[in-house]
Amino acid sequence: MSTSSTTALPDGGLKNPGPGLITLDPVHTALLHGLDDLLTGLAARLAAPEVVGPPLLSVEGLARLDYFRNFPHLGVSAGRFAPDALDGLAVGESPGELPLRPTGHLLPSATCYGLLLSLEGRDVGEGGLRLSAAGRCFRNETHYDGLRRLWGFHMREVLYLGTKQGSVEHLEQGAEFVQEVAGRLGLVLTRAAADDPFYDKGGSRARLMALDPVKHEFSAPDGTAIASVNRHRNFFGERLDIRAGAEGPAYSACVAFGVERWVHAMILAHGTPEQALERLRDARV
Amino acid sequence: MERIAAWLHEKNPGLDGPIDVDEDLIEARLIDSMDFLEFIDLLEDISGSMIDLQEVTIDDFRTLGRVQQRFLSVSGPAAAASAAAG
Repeated sequence: MSTSSTTALPDGGLKNPGPGLITLDPVHTALLHGLDDLLTGLAARLAAPEVVGPPLLSVEGLARLDYFRNFPHLGVSAGRFAPDALDGLAVGESPGELPLRPTGHLLPSATCYGLLLSLEGRDVGEGGLRLSAAGRCFRNETHYDGLRRLWGFHMREVLYLGTKQGSVEHLEQGAEFVQEVAGRLGLVLTRAAADDPFYDKGGSRARLMALDPVKHEFSAPDGTAIASVNRHRNFFGERLDIRAGAEGPAYSACVAFGVERWVHAMILAHGTPEQALERLRDARV
Repeated sequence: MERIAAWLHEKNPGLDGPIDVDEDLIEARLIDSMDFLEFIDLLEDISGSMIDLQEVTIDDFRTLGRVQQRFLSVSGPAAAASAAAG
């Protein structure tokens, strides 16, 4: 995608709808798309075909992945107005006062869930399977902070399913790519073990993860994590009956990028959005 | 060790036969992460000693052989901890 025709808006900007919700102006949008293009290079390197995940996820599917046991606070629900509320809406009643009914679906909070659920019952073979996708993800947070913490954001992921060794190699290649791209963009990233935002921080899963981190994050100098490598062991393979040939339940792993956070890190490193965009153009040549 | 093997079989009904002492219980998820604290409780019950999660590593739980050596040997966890510290 070309970033050469980017111009600032004459009136100085676009209004943001509310906390955690940001409308990106042309320069920020060019950064977002340009960075996403660059990050898609990992998929090309690993021969991961690009797919588009579903826009909503069923609560039944998510429950099978222990989503609600781990992250009951994050889920953004897709509700619809109750039928008896429609007449009121049509004559101008305030939508905020009218009841919503659950649809049995949530907006995705991570890109890989929809891909994993779409692979249920598959045998990916011992050679494994890779998929690449970007999607808008949504998380209820206790506070929001510019591009660092949004209610909705773009997450690009390259997912692997296959053997235990294959998942290790996937993450090694992903980590190498993250540092290589960061270097081209003039970003200095620190790698550290990290925790998922578990609701029960003293619970079994969180305690095991503290002993055996399955997630490592790459963070900008201000502490903003902009990429992560995650191994799931054979959890999703078992829960969704995804097999890797004779190896049994597939092991899986993913490399994830929070694209708005890469925009944030670029502006942090290069001073202004315009200078960040210049640096991105140089990196893409 | 019989109680531990029985617990693992109860949690993994699909398992056939004995579990090898070198089998990686963590990577193969024979100890599921949701059951990890229950496993700690079981070890504490069998050994009669508390396990401080600040003083162990994941490798202490990785195989039946290591669990036996670290928590259930005659000399007990305290001796194992001091040996590890030394």
